[in-house]
Amino acid sequence: MQLAHRLDSERPVEPIRDSIVLATRDLTKTYGRGKQRFEAVKHVSLTLHRGEVLAFLGPNGAGKTTTIKMIAGLVRPDRGQVTVAGADPHRRPSALRHIGAVLEGNRNLYWRLTPEENLEYFGVLRQVPRKIAHRRGLELLDRFELLDKRQTPVQKLSRGMQQKLAIAVALIHNPQLLLLDEPTLGLDVEAGETVKALVRQIAQEGRAILLTTHQLDVAEELSDRVAIIRRGRIIAEQSTESLLKEFSDSAYQLEVEGTLTAQQHQKVTQLGGRVDGSHITYAGTPPNLYALLGALHPLPLVSVQRDRADLTQVFLKLVKDTQDSAS
Amino acid sequence: MMDLLYVELKRTWIQFIRYPAEVIAGLIITTSVFYGLFLSARYMAGPSFAFGDRLDAVVVGYVLWTLNLYIINDIAIGLQSEAQTGTLEQVFLSPFGAPRVFLARAVASLALRFTLLVGIVLLLMGLSGSRLSFPITLIFPFLSLVMAGYGFAFMMGACALVFKRVQQILGIFQFLLLFLLAAPFEESTGIMQSLRFLLPMIPSTGLLRDLMARDIGLDWATYGLALLNGIAYLAVGLFVFRWAERMAKKRGSLSGY
Ligand SMILES: Nc1ncnc2c1ncn2[C@@H]1O[C@H](COP(=O)(O)OP(=O)(O)OP(=O)(O)O)[C@@H](O)[C@H]1O
Ligand SMILES: [Mg+2]
Repeated sequence: MQLAHRLDSERPVEPIRDSIVLATRDLTKTYGRGKQRFEAVKHVSLTLHRGEVLAFLGPNGAGKTTTIKMIAGLVRPDRGQVTVAGADPHRRPSALRHIGAVLEGNRNLYWRLTPEENLEYFGVLRQVPRKIAHRRGLELLDRFELLDKRQTPVQKLSRGMQQKLAIAVALIHNPQLLLLDEPTLGLDVEAGETVKALVRQIAQEGRAILLTTHQLDVAEELSDRVAIIRRGRIIAEQSTESLLKEFSDSAYQLEVEGTLTAQQHQKVTQLGGRVDGSHITYAGTPPNLYALLGALHPLPLVSVQRDRADLTQVFLKLVKDTQDSAS
Repeated sequence: MMDLLYVELKRTWIQFIRYPAEVIAGLIITTSVFYGLFLSARYMAGPSFAFGDRLDAVVVGYVLWTLNLYIINDIAIGLQSEAQTGTLEQVFLSPFGAPRVFLARAVASLALRFTLLVGIVLLLMGLSGSRLSFPITLIFPFLSLVMAGYGFAFMMGACALVFKRVQQILGIFQFLLLFLLAAPFEESTGIMQSLRFLLPMIPSTGLLRDLMARDIGLDWATYGLALLNGIAYLAVGLFVFRWAERMAKKRGSLSGY
């Protein structure tokens, strides 16, 4: 034990060559005792690499926040292990140097302090020397377009600015892993877009990002991978692209202007299309699509579209499916 | 660590100058309540009032009580309000570990309180007409007193972590403390004379009264015991706090669930 400790503390804090930033194994958490006993998280194993964005999705109460807090060392798992940049934050507080977190809700900052003061304070709290924390704070404020607000107490900032600042504060110690629990909650469209753009940039710098959100369009846009959790269990985990592909079928949706003649209607039905007013659904092969288009000649086309599932459909289907099989 | 102390001082100071009303109101209330108490006690009991046979000693006892109260309440109240506002979890994300952060906080806020307290002492001396002496050796028993005070601060902090609501506990404790600090145990005889070294803060307050009100020099042997007393209570406090932290993390109740 002694020896292991010594070897570890002698290891320099160089960037870990291996690109895995976060690994959790079998995380399990039960709250309460007796009748109140509640298994919030069951056997959650996740891996996150440098520069990767993982969207962690699930219905209310599924166990997302609990998992995030276990990763950040704020909730102790009953079983399982967390490794961040090679160390377990529950055993070694120094591992917290690699974690930045914006937790649920809008109070990750001191409201009586200004952005500049918050950044300096939290920088030092995360063991950044004060001068460096101050300088980095100004850089972040500049980058997050908050420089002109640096002397305004946080409570006077808009919700969007507060959220941006919370993210800046989470980055002050240059962590390898960023945990974001519902970062776009309660933001208006513009602020939401800004936060999304920031998340993308931050991932490009090579940080790993784990984010939860109920806005599935946000998840779809930002994530490289999704993990869906339901009642404490991961029910799907794969790359966003392949998940969407898997759930997309190859049907086409066509829309024309005006109505089909009886002849056109018959022809289209023969080719396997389904007509519903000026809408046509076609699930055949691409070459036959042209035959179908020919049959519609000379009606003006409004749109031709290939069905593509969005994350919302996938999510609802997955969550519902496992519900059915569970009950 | 020095940086941590610096930023904690800065944070405390900023919060004070931006919102001084709360602190100043608190000071005025404690000062005037005491002055009222003091006058009526003198009126009812005459000069041989049970808190101590000399008014000066009572003043010292009261001042120490105020200071200790600040120290002891500080961590717990800070914890409780930050659990409500939501910054607490960010504090627990510090690689320094919570005990070190809260110790730095406690030291910083003591620095501010101490400055204010000097003001109160001067005011009380004016009001009660008592004259205290301030020898430099005062710093030693003061240190051992503050250590024990921090020990209790961590214990109360532990209560805040585990029970969330600490107002009642703090309230009860306030009176216990008043009794402990105001009663001149150092004048007791027999078994109490040795047992008092086990009671929290008592040996230090006795020495302080010796120095400030009785013009007796510092007895180093007694001071050794007082220091030991301070260290022991601080250690116990830190231990209990660590236990409470583990407990809160196990229950997932850091943020006030
Ligand atoms: N400290 C706690 N004590 C008892 N139960 C808790 C505690 N924290 C969370 N829970 C319960 O555990 C379950 C999971 O909660 P969690 O906050 O992890 O869900 P979530 O996925 O983040 O939900 P949401 O989308 O609503 O934020 C919920 O049923 C919640 O009531
Ligand atoms: Mg949540």
